[in-house]
Amino acid sequence: MATRDLVLAALFAAIIVALGLVPPIMLGFIPVPITAQSLGVMLAGVILGAKRGGLAVLLVLVLVAIGLPVLSGGRGGLATFVLPTAGYLVGWFFAAVAIGYCSERFVGRSQSALVQVTGFFMAAMIGGVVILHGLGILWLAYGTGTGLSTAFLGDLAFIPGDILKAAIAALAGRAVMVGYPLLPQRA
Amino acid sequence: MDIRFEQAEARFEGRTVLHPLTLTLTERRIGIIGLNGSGKTTFARMINGLVTPAAGRVTLNGFDTASDGEQVRSAAGFIFQNPQNQIVLPILKEDIALGLTSRKLSREEKQAEVNAVLARFGIEHLADRRVHELSGGELQLAALASVLVTRPEILIMDEPTNQLDLRNRALVEKTVHSLEENVLVISHDLDLIAGFDRVLLFHDGRLLADGEPPVVIDRYRTLCAA
Amino acid sequence: MKTLYVQGNTWLHRLSPGLKLGGLAVFSLLLFATRSPVVLAAAVFLAGAIHASMRFGVVRTWQQLRVILLSISILTVFTLLLNGPADALAVFLRLVALAVLAATITATTSTAEFIDTITAGARPLERIGLVKAADLGLAIGLVVRFVPEVLARYEAIRDAHRARGLKQRPLTLAVPLIIQTLRHADEIAAAIDARGIRGQNNRKLGEGS
Repeated sequence: MATRDLVLAALFAAIIVALGLVPPIMLGFIPVPITAQSLGVMLAGVILGAKRGGLAVLLVLVLVAIGLPVLSGGRGGLATFVLPTAGYLVGWFFAAVAIGYCSERFVGRSQSALVQVTGFFMAAMIGGVVILHGLGILWLAYGTGTGLSTAFLGDLAFIPGDILKAAIAALAGRAVMVGYPLLPQRA
Repeated sequence: MDIRFEQAEARFEGRTVLHPLTLTLTERRIGIIGLNGSGKTTFARMINGLVTPAAGRVTLNGFDTASDGEQVRSAAGFIFQNPQNQIVLPILKEDIALGLTSRKLSREEKQAEVNAVLARFGIEHLADRRVHELSGGELQLAALASVLVTRPEILIMDEPTNQLDLRNRALVEKTVHSLEENVLVISHDLDLIAGFDRVLLFHDGRLLADGEPPVVIDRYRTLCAA
Repeated sequence: MKTLYVQGNTWLHRLSPGLKLGGLAVFSLLLFATRSPVVLAAAVFLAGAIHASMRFGVVRTWQQLRVILLSISILTVFTLLLNGPADALAVFLRLVALAVLAATITATTSTAEFIDTITAGARPLERIGLVKAADLGLAIGLVVRFVPEVLARYEAIRDAHRARGLKQRPLTLAVPLIIQTLRHADEIAAAIDARGIRGQNNRKLGEGS
């Protein structure tokens, strides 16, 4: 791996950690605060692509595992990996890789702004909603011993927020691509 | 020390940033001046192989920068414009020790080397400090220590006094003058290079003047006034 | 950044991190294999005894477990409502036992020990050419090094919003933060290469300004 890729992944991991330390941001139009950290995970995939974005999230998970309280709310340590909600945490890695992979394929620099934003949104939905919540539900159902359908019910409450985050990630991803293009391009 | 450019040319994204250049540098203290975008940083980066020539070749003590990267980089230390970006680990002494990774040293030997270089710049008290808490002057000294711990033959510095206040500027100037190593300094700080052995003036990717500091600095002033 | 590590020299501090992680994995597998409240309660007692033998004190124990206990309570209530009290008790006991043991291992293993263990664990991957084990320590160091810098930048951007009377939106905060941070990547990478930290052949040649 080129040094630059390693540094980009590490810097993005630092951004994700920092986003866990800042207070939640209020949106203008709905009264729900946005925890910026999981938005950071989507952004890692959208902006850096599968390989570097996945590495960035992996680095954050390693920091959590080695006992740094880097998750929002000051959570960290091995205990976060033994809870039934750990699927959402481990799922971040797969979400970032999937979002990165889809972004590299859906979005090109020569497309119109609308197509680019739509492409990023689709990528963020596939990775950040379908894959992340899918994994989260499976783990939750297994960890608590409840059925899949009950775990799904518990999960539902968080879906609207993540759809909103996917939209923000899409807009931000396109804005960063215009200002500082990094996403690997594929045909 | 012997740096040679043989019809060396640098291109970036299809644009020529340094036109073919042939010269030999052997002096102990060399200053590089020029306007922003004149090609002086590219020139400096070619010496340690961070930029490799698109045509021609660059050698340092006979080692080709394009093929003998390891030898070239261990002989030439590089201090970047923003020392902030040069120090990559959170605690200063850990960062300085990082430069010694490729050498086969024991933990104690590494520790001794780190302590020696910190003492050399009078910053022993910063060893355990977090890097992001250091002041601008402390950071510049820390960057010097992190590079000189590997004992390079020549030290290349890109505008070392650029972002410093007057007091720290004087401190870094004094330090640069007291270095035993060969130095090559890019600077807008004309006081710093006035006492050097040789000064090069770059303009639009070409070497415009080359010689004794007073003559070349005069030429630079004329160029800026025009 | 403050770690959750607590300095000390207990038997658990001295135990190798690999063994501790392995032990935790086995413990968790065993707990998920049973639903007996008696066995699970015994596990809670065992984890609690191990934790107590570290003599961290009540305050530190509370700090270590506070956030986790909140998550466990929510999950227990969730199970109680959906599956009834028997399942809820099993979930509660199992998670408390696991969380206490995991937090205790985290508290007795330093960051440096963890990095050494992970690096050693990555060696087999290095042999098949997937990663360079030494890069891992460097990457972790880089993250910890640059978090404060990112935070300072975030505050500067937020202040700029305030000064200009702009609403703080995720988009206008995140985009400049990301661009400003990633812009430094080139120079940081160049510095790492110039210092020869990663050895040969990792460099993309011919780039520069």
